[in-house]
Amino acid sequence: MDTLTLNVLNQVIRVHCAHPMVESLLSMAYGAMRGDPGGADLEYTVRGDASPERFHVVRPDGESIAAPDGGALLALFDADVAVALQRRRPDLYFLHAAVLVRDDAAVLLVARSGGGKSTLCWALTHYGFRYASDELGPVDLTRLHVHPYPRTLMVKRDPPASFPMPNGVRTSGGIHVPTHVMPGGLVRAPSAIVAVFFLHHVPDAPGPSVRRLSTAESATRLYANALNPLAHGGEGIDGAVRIAARPCFELVTAELAPTCALVATTLATISWGRRR
Amino acid sequence: MRLVEHEAIILDREANQVHQLNATASLVWQRCDGQHTAVQIAEALTGAFHVDLETARAAVVTALRRFAELGLLRPGRI
Repeated sequence: MDTLTLNVLNQVIRVHCAHPMVESLLSMAYGAMRGDPGGADLEYTVRGDASPERFHVVRPDGESIAAPDGGALLALFDADVAVALQRRRPDLYFLHAAVLVRDDAAVLLVARSGGGKSTLCWALTHYGFRYASDELGPVDLTRLHVHPYPRTLMVKRDPPASFPMPNGVRTSGGIHVPTHVMPGGLVRAPSAIVAVFFLHHVPDAPGPSVRRLSTAESATRLYANALNPLAHGGEGIDGAVRIAARPCFELVTAELAPTCALVATTLATISWGRRR
Repeated sequence: MRLVEHEAIILDREANQVHQLNATASLVWQRCDGQHTAVQIAEALTGAFHVDLETARAAVVTALRRFAELGLLRPGRI
């Protein structure tokens, strides 16, 4: 039985893979989080059958959950690990957000599921941004730094031809992009948050646009995308307000290239202000 | 409720919703305390936002209607 050891948010997660297919799938998705073997904080066992394809995940508490295919396995495992990490790291404010870093400054992309967050994340990696996460943004509220969570980026459909995707792994969940092909590379350490963009895709918009949001509106939107607000003071509102002190924008997304250019331009404005 | 730069953030745990009010609605909300009438709230708006009483009354009615739609008001509060 192969064992995959992950180290994320200073938690050691050991996964016993009872089938080569399981090890291959989980390594593809979480390989960037590989860590040295050591005492495990969380331990899973995943069994799999090739024909027909099905999986069983035995959780740290012993409960066994079935997944009908590889995509469902990754979704199930991801959700379980995310909850487990929130329980073990209640000091961090977990946001449902993509995270990218450029010039050591982190940008959060917040959107509902299916709102284009991962596709924009993929596109921005072609604009000098390094990849930190496409789903989870654990924030250190004291320092306003966000930790990386470099699970493989997953998009639900092929991106435009202008941003071709290498041979990703297709599952029922979508298309998984191996982290080693990220144009800008990966983020390995927490980074200071410089801005937050709330994505709003308007299919017939003539072009992308950006609007600065008030702190209150930003905090409200952040709170709506917080995963563990009640683990923090003020029922989680305090944390959202603290993050919202950073420049926050509503970004109406349109065609990818001009949208990416607008993000870069907007960030340059912020950076310029910080240097004065 | 949390007031951030004159705008209120209201957490409705029962409905599992969070609301953000602009400055006008925030002022109305702060006076929805069982102590102020709608007219008194409107008069407060005229001073805070330099608008005439008619405009202020309309804003108060709109805000109160919206609060009621969202289930944020208890009967008899205004």
